[in-house]
Amino acid sequence: MLEVRDIHFNYGEPILRGVSFDVRQGDLLAVVGPNGAGKSTLLKIILGMLRPASGSVMLEGASVAKMARRRLARFIGYVPQATDVRFPLTAMEYVLQGRFAQGRILGFESDEDLEEARRAMELTDSTEFASRFVSELSGGERQRVMLARALASRPRLLALDEPVANLDIAHQLKMFDLARRLTATGEMGAIVVTHELNLAAEFATRVLMLKSGEVRALGKPSDVMDEKTINDVFDADVLIDKNPVTGAPRITLLAMAQKGANFSLSRS
Amino acid sequence: MTARADKIKIMRERVTSKRVVTILIVMFALLILIAIIALAMGSERIGFQAIVKIIAAKITGQSIDIASEQQVIIADIRLPRVLMAIVVGAALSVAGAAYQALLRNPLADPYVLGVSTGAAVGAIAATIFAEAISIGRPLAAFLGAVLTIATVILLGQSRRHAQTERLILAGIITNTFLSSVVIFLMTSASGLRLQSVFSWLIGDLGSNARLLPLVSVFIVAGIVIIYFNSRSLNLMMTGEEEALALGVEVRRVKAMVYIASSLITGAAVSVSGVIGFVGLVIPHAVRLAAGSDNRFVVPASALAGGIFLLVADTIARTAIAPRELHVGVVTAFVGAPVFVYLLRRAS
Repeated sequence: MLEVRDIHFNYGEPILRGVSFDVRQGDLLAVVGPNGAGKSTLLKIILGMLRPASGSVMLEGASVAKMARRRLARFIGYVPQATDVRFPLTAMEYVLQGRFAQGRILGFESDEDLEEARRAMELTDSTEFASRFVSELSGGERQRVMLARALASRPRLLALDEPVANLDIAHQLKMFDLARRLTATGEMGAIVVTHELNLAAEFATRVLMLKSGEVRALGKPSDVMDEKTINDVFDADVLIDKNPVTGAPRITLLAMAQKGANFSLSRS
Repeated sequence: MTARADKIKIMRERVTSKRVVTILIVMFALLILIAIIALAMGSERIGFQAIVKIIAAKITGQSIDIASEQQVIIADIRLPRVLMAIVVGAALSVAGAAYQALLRNPLADPYVLGVSTGAAVGAIAATIFAEAISIGRPLAAFLGAVLTIATVILLGQSRRHAQTERLILAGIITNTFLSSVVIFLMTSASGLRLQSVFSWLIGDLGSNARLLPLVSVFIVAGIVIIYFNSRSLNLMMTGEEEALALGVEVRRVKAMVYIASSLITGAAVSVSGVIGFVGLVIPHAVRLAAGSDNRFVVPASALAGGIFLLVADTIARTAIAPRELHVGVVTAFVGAPVFVYLLRRAS
């Protein structure tokens, strides 16, 4: 569904150097990597917000760079990291905005728009906030409303940028679980930029590890999440075993060995 | 806290076309009513029947049996003034609503951002150097407004979004600088001209009636352009990147709305001088009553702004009769405390 081929992007210096990968329907691709790896830039290129220096992004065979903005908006549902709404806007109005690309530039929402917005809010468990102001919602509630807005246009591809950065552990789990459930039916694919390695290992179908603008690993969590790769990408010592309940890779961060100290870590 | 949205909002969950039209019709009727009351008030009280007859006669061209002094007072003195107040009030309010949406900042308005003063610079320069060209004044004011908003945005934008303090500071700095330019320009104007320019500058709805038709065209055109973009502005109010991802042509909308807002600010200032806080108070009150949907806020601000400035001007010309207050004094009286209140809420 989504084909990213050899993306190069520069901002003074090279940010992305030849990134290529696919996202298929039913996929939940987690994009992980250290700060500055180029993850958010990559997402913005996929969303058509930035133009790559070279390379292509194809969505169901059509080039994103050439696509009309409204058409692209119907395809991809984008959930940014956080939102800052400083005006009185109800959650329902916020979610209804997701239907913009479906209607005319000026016009009021149709019954179908309302129906889709309600459905999206039901999916994200946010129906009860419909008449509350977005600015008065808690972080977790706001995140659910943001996801509802992305879902309102029935996108084929969900693009989530650090969706759990401001959430407590319970909501982090709920968010990833919801993303997984939405993609598991096969009607959507999702690309999720995240720092949460364990959640990625648990819920993603595939993981892409990005460092300094290059793809260092791409594959199933159990295949690519090993100690050497993670050490190489993140410059951090980890211990990897299997989650006793689910069997997914479990990443435990080890303290870095102190320089000059008589302290070494031995791993069996 | 959660009940606040339900109680205050007339619109409840969301805006629908039926609710919008209904409320706008009610507001329009209120505007007509207040206009007629305003026409009746003044040093000479004129009855409602007479007013209606005079206006009807002016439209149809028939002659009527009412004292000619009364006809002159209504048709040539008060009516242009009332229309001026409505048009300028609408213009400043819509410009305020538009800047607030674009800058995602409830404190933006043409006055606070210094755009009104920039427009005044243009208008004064045109008056001094090109008085003969009638259209020169609103056009020069428009240019002044455009250059000012560009400067303020350049100075005031921080990395991700315009922070309130930084933006307001940029507005104050720009306003201060432009005010000194105004004073400089006025020192190069001679005696009689200087007096009329000064009187206009501090807010005057009673002169420049001859420019009113031209300026009204600009203002209506500008309001229409902004209204056309109101749904896009709704999305942009939640963030430019988010709006882009939802399908809004952000660059195009920004260009259209900034230019239209500067056009209407320039047009308003060129006839009525610098009147403050209208663009701040009105959109805020409208949003408090019925939410932030610009498809409602834009037309409602136009009508509410017309009503507000009309009431303010009527107070200005009747409160200390036979002398007149400047209308800017009245709007500042209401607006400054509101501004302080909003500033405190924002931080």
